[in-house]
Amino acid sequence: MKLVAVTSCPTGIAHTYMAAEALESVARKKGINIKVETQGSIGVENQLTEGDIEDAHVVIIAAGTNISKERFSEKTVLEIPITEAIKDPEGIIEKAINLEPKIKKLNKEAEEINKKEISVSTGPYKHLMTGVSFMLPLVVAGGLIIALSFIFGIDAFQQEGTLAAALMQIGGGAAFTLMVPVLAGYIAYSIAERPGLAPGLIGGMLATVIGAGFLGGIIAGFVAGYTVSYLNKVIKLPKAMEGLKPVLILPLLSTLTVGLLMTYVIGLPLKSIMDGLTSWLQRLSGTNAMLFGGILGSMMAFDMGGPINKAAYTFAIGLGSSNIFQPQAVVMAAGMTPPLGLALATVLFKKKFTKDEIETGKAAWIMGMSFITEGVIPFAVADPLRVVPSIVMGSAVTGALSMMFDVTLRAPHGGVFILPIPNAVGNLGGYLISIIIGTIITALLVGFFKKKAV
Amino acid sequence: MEIKDILKPSLMILDLKANNKASVVEELIKPLVVEGIVKEEKVFLKVVMDREEQSTTGIGMGIAIPHGKSSMVTTPSIVFGKSKTGIEYEALDGKPSHIFFLIAVPEDSKEEHLKVLSQLSRKLMNSEIRAKLLNATTAEDVINSFD
Repeated sequence: MKLVAVTSCPTGIAHTYMAAEALESVARKKGINIKVETQGSIGVENQLTEGDIEDAHVVIIAAGTNISKERFSEKTVLEIPITEAIKDPEGIIEKAINLEPKIKKLNKEAEEINKKEISVSTGPYKHLMTGVSFMLPLVVAGGLIIALSFIFGIDAFQQEGTLAAALMQIGGGAAFTLMVPVLAGYIAYSIAERPGLAPGLIGGMLATVIGAGFLGGIIAGFVAGYTVSYLNKVIKLPKAMEGLKPVLILPLLSTLTVGLLMTYVIGLPLKSIMDGLTSWLQRLSGTNAMLFGGILGSMMAFDMGGPINKAAYTFAIGLGSSNIFQPQAVVMAAGMTPPLGLALATVLFKKKFTKDEIETGKAAWIMGMSFITEGVIPFAVADPLRVVPSIVMGSAVTGALSMMFDVTLRAPHGGVFILPIPNAVGNLGGYLISIIIGTIITALLVGFFKKKAV
Repeated sequence: MEIKDILKPSLMILDLKANNKASVVEELIKPLVVEGIVKEEKVFLKVVMDREEQSTTGIGMGIAIPHGKSSMVTTPSIVFGKSKTGIEYEALDGKPSHIFFLIAVPEDSKEEHLKVLSQLSRKLMNSEIRAKLLNATTAEDVINSFD
């Protein structure tokens, strides 16, 4: 049995280490293998590796401060006040041993590869993704609630005082208005931490008000974040006044910078780009629309959850914030067909896959239906030159068809499980046809290219 | 650098007079002020007491380790204090505290100092070392407890 723990306390001078020692010595006595990471004044020591966490039965977090739990999302976590670890280490170890470990969900391999990709992403890409991940719940909640208001008729919300009007107010009035500010706010937060949030939110709000949309929001977020971290570096205050920096000086100066830049310099050009993009997309029809859908769709499949996939996805939900919902339909459908196509291929062409792959194919059905593009990664890793072109073609066809049928999707998340929500999808029949055809094309191409499994 | 290097006889009070939490912290800070290690007594006292507000540093087993990080501190230091009668220090186990380590750290401390402090904290979890400290009557005894 192996346990891992993290200890951390407010000043990081004493408790962090005492708790670590207490847990280690009890574990030693009981013959249990434990590794304790200390997050104290010296910084992180004895850092837990991915392997440590993977092998651990349970994770113990003994902290008097906030520590990030993202690393442990796959684990059962026992969270306790740090003083408990000092007072009663025996009881805690006992409790940890008796907890049920979490069983790893879905397809292990795919998730690991996916995780690696996230951990290597740094710099602007990481900041953008942080913003997008905080914005996404607003998109989903807002989009679906607006869809619900359409149950009462497409114009029902115009009648004041009705439930339809209330739903529109919640989804459109509140959730959608917050989207771009939250995107900008959390881009800045990712760059400059807490002091970045205020100027980022404000810059994003200005982008919304001006009409600069998600492009304005992204730029506002980056300007805010980098401005704050620059100011934080250059402004030196006497010790006595240092407390003023995070609450007064940084927010004031950075908000002024971002606000004035948005209002007088970059806001209007961005608005015209955004307006141009919007009207171009609205006028898109026929071949051009299909070409657009094909490109966006192939981007979703090309790196299966990597930067190009996320760029296409971000672009689509950004346009959702400007009330253009076709691209959202394209990206979700095109993100579903790669795992679905491979799953179908494992059924149609059993001889071309190993036993393990056929098993993985079963999980790929579920991942595909849930819009987890990463479900295709185990297949792509095993045979990239044959699998990647096939899924790119399949997704391109799906994207093109989705545009041709003029499908709209109000919340690009949840896969097939959001399809039954009334009005979430415009032209549901067309959408299903697009996804099914893309899946079949992917499967046939894979079957055609792939050699017999040995 | 070892724990011994940071324990100084001039920073030890082998017979604490105080009888409550606030006054024992004040008493422990005094030698730091005399030695010129703490510049502003009041400010540092507040830092330490604020830390206590967050959660008590009376870790039980007769031991308390009040501590503070402040720009008012010039060098990382430890004041050792011992109370015969024991002092009510809101300890985790509810019992009076006899052994005190007041840890004072400057805002920008060197890593080696912090390492020593983390070693000290770890050693205090060892019951043998605690027993030696409780029986210590001279500065030398205190220092030798960590051997």
